[in-house]
Amino acid sequence: MTDALHPFPRLLLRILAILTTLAVLWSAGWVFARDVLGGDDDGRTVLTVMHWSGDAGQEEDAIVEAALARFEATHPELRVERINPGDAGSFYTKLQTMMAAGTPPDVFYVGDERLPSLASMGVLTPLDDFVASDPDVALDDFYPVVLDAYRFDGQHAGRGPLYGLPKDFTTIGFYYNKDLFRRAGVPEPADDWTWDDFLAAARAIGELDGCTGAEFVTWPRMLRLYLATRGCDVVDASGDELRVLEPRVLAALEDLYRWRHVEENTLTSGKSRVASGATVFLTGRVGLAGPFGRWVVPSYRQIEGFAWDFAPMPRGEQRASVIASVAWAISSESRHPREAWELVRSLCSPDSQAGLARLGLAMPSRRSVARSDAFVDPSLPPSRDDVFLAQAEYATLLPVPASTKFDSLLETRLNQAVLTGDLDVTTAARAFDEAWRAELESPLGRGDHPLMPWGTVTRVALAIAALVLVGVLLARRRTRLGPLARAEERAGLLLSSPLLLGLLGLMAFPIVLSLLLSFTRWTGIAGLDTARWVGLANYRQLLVDDPRFVTSLKVTAYYALLAVPLGQAFALGAALLMNGKLRGIGFFRAAWYLPSVLAGVGVAVLWRWVFDGDSGLANALLEPLLAPLGLTPPDWFGADAAVWGVPAFALMNLWMVGGSMMIYLAGLQGIPSELYEAAELDGARGWTRFRRVTLPMLSPVLVFNGVMAIIGSFQVFTQAFVMTRGEPGDLTRFYVLYLYNQAFDYFEMGYASAMAWILLVVVLALTALVLRGSRKHVHYEALS
Amino acid sequence: MASVSLKGLSKVYPGGVTAVQGVDLEVRDGEFVVLVGPSGCGKSTTLRMVAGLEEISAGELRIGERLVNEVPGRDRDVAMVFQSYALYPHLSVRQNLAFPLERRRAHGSKLLRLASAGYRAAARAEDAALAARVDEAARTLGITALLERKPGALSGGQRQRVAVGRALVREPAVFLFDEPLSNLDAKLRVEMRAELARLHQRLGATMLYVTHDQEEAMTLGDRLVVMEGGVVQQCGTPRDVYDRPANRFVAGFVGTPSMNFLPATLVEDAGAPALDVHGARLALPPSSRARPRAPRRGRARRAPGRARALRRGRPG
Repeated sequence: MTDALHPFPRLLLRILAILTTLAVLWSAGWVFARDVLGGDDDGRTVLTVMHWSGDAGQEEDAIVEAALARFEATHPELRVERINPGDAGSFYTKLQTMMAAGTPPDVFYVGDERLPSLASMGVLTPLDDFVASDPDVALDDFYPVVLDAYRFDGQHAGRGPLYGLPKDFTTIGFYYNKDLFRRAGVPEPADDWTWDDFLAAARAIGELDGCTGAEFVTWPRMLRLYLATRGCDVVDASGDELRVLEPRVLAALEDLYRWRHVEENTLTSGKSRVASGATVFLTGRVGLAGPFGRWVVPSYRQIEGFAWDFAPMPRGEQRASVIASVAWAISSESRHPREAWELVRSLCSPDSQAGLARLGLAMPSRRSVARSDAFVDPSLPPSRDDVFLAQAEYATLLPVPASTKFDSLLETRLNQAVLTGDLDVTTAARAFDEAWRAELESPLGRGDHPLMPWGTVTRVALAIAALVLVGVLLARRRTRLGPLARAEERAGLLLSSPLLLGLLGLMAFPIVLSLLLSFTRWTGIAGLDTARWVGLANYRQLLVDDPRFVTSLKVTAYYALLAVPLGQAFALGAALLMNGKLRGIGFFRAAWYLPSVLAGVGVAVLWRWVFDGDSGLANALLEPLLAPLGLTPPDWFGADAAVWGVPAFALMNLWMVGGSMMIYLAGLQGIPSELYEAAELDGARGWTRFRRVTLPMLSPVLVFNGVMAIIGSFQVFTQAFVMTRGEPGDLTRFYVLYLYNQAFDYFEMGYASAMAWILLVVVLALTALVLRGSRKHVHYEALS
Repeated sequence: MASVSLKGLSKVYPGGVTAVQGVDLEVRDGEFVVLVGPSGCGKSTTLRMVAGLEEISAGELRIGERLVNEVPGRDRDVAMVFQSYALYPHLSVRQNLAFPLERRRAHGSKLLRLASAGYRAAARAEDAALAARVDEAARTLGITALLERKPGALSGGQRQRVAVGRALVREPAVFLFDEPLSNLDAKLRVEMRAELARLHQRLGATMLYVTHDQEEAMTLGDRLVVMEGGVVQQCGTPRDVYDRPANRFVAGFVGTPSMNFLPATLVEDAGAPALDVHGARLALPPSSRARPRAPRRGRARRAPGRARALRRGRPG
């Protein structure tokens, strides 16, 4: 045998082998250098800092950058790497991913609402020892209520060790349009105004042409602040007992319901997902907007058309105030906690806080800075900075259970009554009550599960892998290969090795891991070693005790039932049209195909506008068509969501069937034209020709597209995530969206893994059913 | 059965390409006419115009006495056998054969079947008649054993028979064949040719047959129509076309081995016309119309001659 005959020249083999070895050595050396030696090229210790930039955007970016530069100047032995993933949502996703990967940033932002859940997972370093050894930090300069928001004793926030040093905070109230108040002839809010004053103003402004009294957001914290002014709350003072069904709570919620849904124009309708929140105020057609904190000030300062100011939260039965705040925290995994503390201290120093205060985005957490002219600036609106400060003096902490599910359930359940008005208050409150009680009573919630025996699992996995390897080697020895065949085999293995290794490392390993995780309870944030073995409890909970799981399955099945047949019929119809021999048909094909390659999020944002309850294109078109019949178009994602929410997604899907259409088109063009000619002479045309010739010839393509569409319809995520977030209630909570909620909002990675495996089984079963059921009607002969 | 009459039939494509130009042809009732010519000569287009698969740009097409220029193919009472057979791959042989009949049922409505007993009885009678015709066609072609198979499970020759059978069951006025044998191997082609000839004898049906294979044309046709460049070059019996080609193209196209062309001069030899080929004198047969008249005498020509027409002459 000569090298010329060799299927893969030996020289090339050697070069490949050397290159591979070098690449492995280089990456191993790089990891070693990074992990073991630590530090930078110049020997400085590296600290990683992560933050977000919210409404203030680049300015917040610049302020953090400047503060870090000052810190580096005074600490030449340290170097700081800054990460800013964007807004708060992206920030938490990135933080969770970094923590799960075991490479969390040393120092990062934490909002007070997330503190209990993060602290209970043990991913934050308690700061008390640092504070005790560092008298300069002057903790008594901080507003006590803001500091207390970062204490957590394992059960409740507000007491116990300190886990973050607050950088700033805000109190909460209403912004008001001074010009509209004047036009309506109502006095501007006094410092001790009441809900009656609020309503009088809102009603008077609602009478003005084209104006609405107030935009009243009902985010969990704002809703509870409202309840606090009415002298009640959804939980008791300890945060352990639900109080949502108490008459006072229900009465206060009823009031809110009535103002919004019974009265005309007192509050915004709550139907629109597009025109809601802080931006509504910018239109100049809303008298009041809130309850918001200080964070809207930078964007409101851009307003030129009208004068505005800030009023405290109106009082009802009592006066109440809460805060929202952000602190700097240190990872419990940080290798340089002392240096990290130095950095946190510096970032919360009076100088840094003064810089932030000038942005107008928030209030300094240090009293000394808050009262300085860095914050109190009479030349810029709002003129009533004192109202923010006054509210800080009597602000209290809202008791929050250490689970992010609480806020999520509260919002999705109660908003169906007080925001969209789809349910009456008592029904919504009862739904919340039941959901949260079920959550508390779940056997998964108890912490008496043993730790996952990863050592044993790894040994078993290695043993299995070794057995497989030995089996393969034995099987190989049995087949005697000639030298040429052997060389060919070697070259084949070498060439396919990138794929094989990728398949094993990037596919097989995560798949096996997710199967293992589905038997555990794991946060997805703290290391894998904190996972606890729960056996089949996740599956049991899902199949027996989780009504939301059943709802999400129903929603998804409803969607599949609509979207698959509709979408496929639509795609096939389009393909039949596109199969014509027209001048410029290429343009039409491209135009129909284009939407299916557009980015999912952009498309979803677009369609959110189309189906918007207040100003959507869909209803603007439907209204004149339905009006003569005495019908009104549906409130897609509002009152009619139980029936019309999912169909809206199915309709949107019609817009994106270009991929299926292309496959049908290819199938149609594969049908020999003689068949149509024969059919023409045999007297079959039109519908008969389509049914007797086209459909049977296309049947393999139909099955392929159908199966792909079924799989796709069970994986709907982006649309729902962007357009409705699963709301109202859970009426558009698709399966994968619920899976995402569990994994990334509730930190139940094990539960989410179990969901993923159930989804796999469901999709496999459906696919098998389709393939088996269609066997009789599919003519694979058409392919030959 | 019917005659087919083509008068000045032309096909001009939208781009301005003329595929067929002024074809005149009278196919008598029961006649087997073969259109033959090299690929691209317009023979298939002519056939497809007769079938109604191509629109007629100019001229008149009559089947029987009826002018059918504007009649759709399915109403012309013609059946066509395609080169690719065009069998429906998802239907069994029986269903393939029955397909054209089902489309022409008088009692086809499933709804009426449910509603009316009388209709049901009529439909059942029709079912039986239909099945009988399919069986009959299958017997004729010797494919009764294949009736329940799908086309994919058949050999090329078997598929060919089914394709012919599908035309047969229709009992059409005119059979059209578009190169039906060109996908078969040489041996099978000869067999099928014989079978088609027998079929024609038995049915006595009018058949219009397109092929590029002049041998096939010679053996099958009552008459041949030789086409080239969209124009009919000659129309006549195989014998006629072979012995008396109307022009050089026909002479060169028909016959295997093909005709030789030698440079020659027309001369007079002992008062009789003769050809001078490289100094050798070839006497022309008395039947030849070529007479060396004064103006043409001595002009250079090309003498067409078939090898087998040559006789060894006496030396000298």
